[in-house]
Amino acid sequence: MASSPASVAVSLPRPLLSRRARELATGYLYLLPVALCLGGTILFPILKAMHMSLYRHVLIRPQEYGFIGLGNYARLLHDETFWLTLWNSLVWVFGSVGFQFLGGFAAALLLHQSFRGRAFVRTVTLLPWIVPGVVVALVWEWLYQPNYGVLNDLLLRLGVLRDRVAWLSDPSLAMPAVIATNVWRGVPFFAIMLLAGLQAIPDELYEAARVDGASVLQRFRHVTLPLLRPIIIVATATRIIWTFNYADLIFVMTSGGPANATQITSTYTLLTAYSTLDFGYAATLSVVLLVIMLTFTVLYLRVTRGIDSVA
Amino acid sequence: MSAPDRRRAAAGGAPRLTRPRADWVERVLSGPVLWLGLLALTLFALGPFVWVFLTSLKTRAELYATPLQYLPGRLTAVNYVDAWTSKLTPFSRFFANSLWVSSVTMVATTAVSILAGYALARFRFAGRNVLLLVFLATQMFPAVLLIAPLLSQWYALGLIDTYQALIYSNFSFTVPFTVWMLVGYFDAIPRELEESALIDGCGRFGALCRVVLPLAAPGVAATAIFAFVTSWSELLFAITFTTQTEMRTLSAGLLFMVGQYEIQWGQLSAGVMISTVPVAILFTYLQRHLIRGLSAGALKG
Repeated sequence: MASSPASVAVSLPRPLLSRRARELATGYLYLLPVALCLGGTILFPILKAMHMSLYRHVLIRPQEYGFIGLGNYARLLHDETFWLTLWNSLVWVFGSVGFQFLGGFAAALLLHQSFRGRAFVRTVTLLPWIVPGVVVALVWEWLYQPNYGVLNDLLLRLGVLRDRVAWLSDPSLAMPAVIATNVWRGVPFFAIMLLAGLQAIPDELYEAARVDGASVLQRFRHVTLPLLRPIIIVATATRIIWTFNYADLIFVMTSGGPANATQITSTYTLLTAYSTLDFGYAATLSVVLLVIMLTFTVLYLRVTRGIDSVA
Repeated sequence: MSAPDRRRAAAGGAPRLTRPRADWVERVLSGPVLWLGLLALTLFALGPFVWVFLTSLKTRAELYATPLQYLPGRLTAVNYVDAWTSKLTPFSRFFANSLWVSSVTMVATTAVSILAGYALARFRFAGRNVLLLVFLATQMFPAVLLIAPLLSQWYALGLIDTYQALIYSNFSFTVPFTVWMLVGYFDAIPRELEESALIDGCGRFGALCRVVLPLAAPGVAATAIFAFVTSWSELLFAITFTTQTEMRTLSAGLLFMVGQYEIQWGQLSAGVMISTVPVAILFTYLQRHLIRGLSAGALKG
C-alpha cells in the first residue's frame, strides 16, 4: 500500500461537515444499534412500567381497566405480603452472601496452593456457578425430596435425623433450604474473584513478612486481608445486588411458599405478573424494585469509587 | 549474570538461616488441612451432579426403591431416549429452540456490542462517561423488573410465542455486559495501529474490521460465548413469553416438565444433563477470559 504524495495532492471536494463533526456523527451512528436494543428492552419497558403502575390492569378482568392514580402504591403500603417479602429478601441476601463469602474465601485459599490436579479441581469448583439456574433448582429439589431424596437418606443413616424431613414444604426449613442451595451456587463466584485477587498479591510481600518472622496467621492477617480488601468489597457489593434480584431458584423450588415463607420481593413481583396477571400491581412492584436497585447502585458506586485496579 | 541469577545466588548465599522454620500451624495447614479441604470442596461442588447423573441412569424401579439404591444396577440410557423423544416434553425440540435462540442472540449481541464498544473506546463525545455508567448500572437490572412491561409489550405487538420476542428480550441482559467487556478490550489496543490504517485510506469501519477486530479476537470470542451461555440459561423470559410446548427452550422445558402432574425424576435428570453439558464445556473454555473480564468489569466503575 504505497501512499504516494501524489495521491494526497489530489484535492478532495471539500466535505460538507468538518472532520471532527464527521467523527462525532460516526460515533453516534455506531451507538445507534445499541440504543435501539436497550431502548426497546430496558428504557421503554421501564417507562411503560411507570405508566402501567397508575392503572388498574388485571389481564383476566379487562372490564375493570382504568386509571387509578396512585391507587396501586396505596395498596402496596397496606400489603402485608409486600413487607414480609422485604424482610425475607433481607434474610435471603445476607444468609446467602455471608455463607457464600466464607465458603468462597476458604475455597480460594485452597485453590491458591499448588498441588497436583489443580486445574481439574478449579474447573470442578466452578460447575455449580455455570450451570443454568433452573438446573441448580431441580438438582436440589431432587436432593431434598422427602421420600427418595439422598439428603434425608444420608442423614437418617448417620443418625442425625429420626424421621424424614420435608425440607421445602416445612415453613421453618424452607428458607434455610433455599439459602443452602444458593450458597452452593454462589461459592464459586467468590472463589474465583478472591482467587484472582490472591494471585495478584506479589510473592515478595509474603517473603518479606516471612523473613521478618511473621507466622502464617500473621501473614494472612497483615498481608492477605488488607490487599484483598478492595476485591472483597467489590465482589460482595455485586453479589448483594445480584442476590436481591435473583428469582429463578426460589421460583422453581418453592414459588415463594409454603405460605410465603420464602417469598422475596423479586419472586413476588414475578408471580404477580406471571400467575395473577395483575399487570398494574406488578408494574408498581417493578417501580419499587427499580428505586431499591438505584439506591443500591448509587451506594455501590460510592463504596467502590477509588478502587481502580486489583486483579 | 542475569538479574534473576544474581538474586538466586544472593538468596543461596545465606542458606536457611534467614528463613525461619515453618511453624507447626503452617505444616498442618499445608498438609492435612489442605488435602481434607480439597476433598471437601470437590465433594461439595461435584456431589449433587454425580447424584443426578446416577439418577439419570437408573430404571424406574431402582429410582423408587426402598431402601434407597445408590448405584444403578445396570446402565440404561432409557431416560435419555425417553426425554429426547417424548411427545409431552420433547427435549429434541427444546434443544433446537435453545440452540437457535442462543445462537441468534449471540451473533446479534456481538455485532451490536462491537460497534458500540468501539465507539465508546475511540470517540470522545459528550456523555461518554455517563453512558459507561449506564451500561454498568443496567448490568445489575433484574429481569423480574422487566417481565410485566415486556409481557404487555409483546402482547401488544403480537410477538408472544415467537423467537423474536425471546431474542430481543435477551438483549436486555447480554448487551450491557458485552459492551462493557469490549470497551475494555478495545481500549487495550494501541491507537497508533489504527491511525496508520486510517492514513492509508481505510475508513473507520475498515480500520475496525481489519486492525482492531483481529487483535481483539480472543476477547470478542469470549464475550460472544458469554452471550450464548447466558441466553442458554435464561428462564424467566422463556416461560413468560411462550405458551406453546413447541416454543419452549431447555430451561423452560425443564420447568414445564415439573409442572406435569407427576414428576418423572429419571427423565428430568436426563434433561438436566442434556442442558448442562453444553454450557459446562463452553464455560471451561471461557474460564480464563471471563474471570479477567468480571474482575475488570466490576472494578472500573
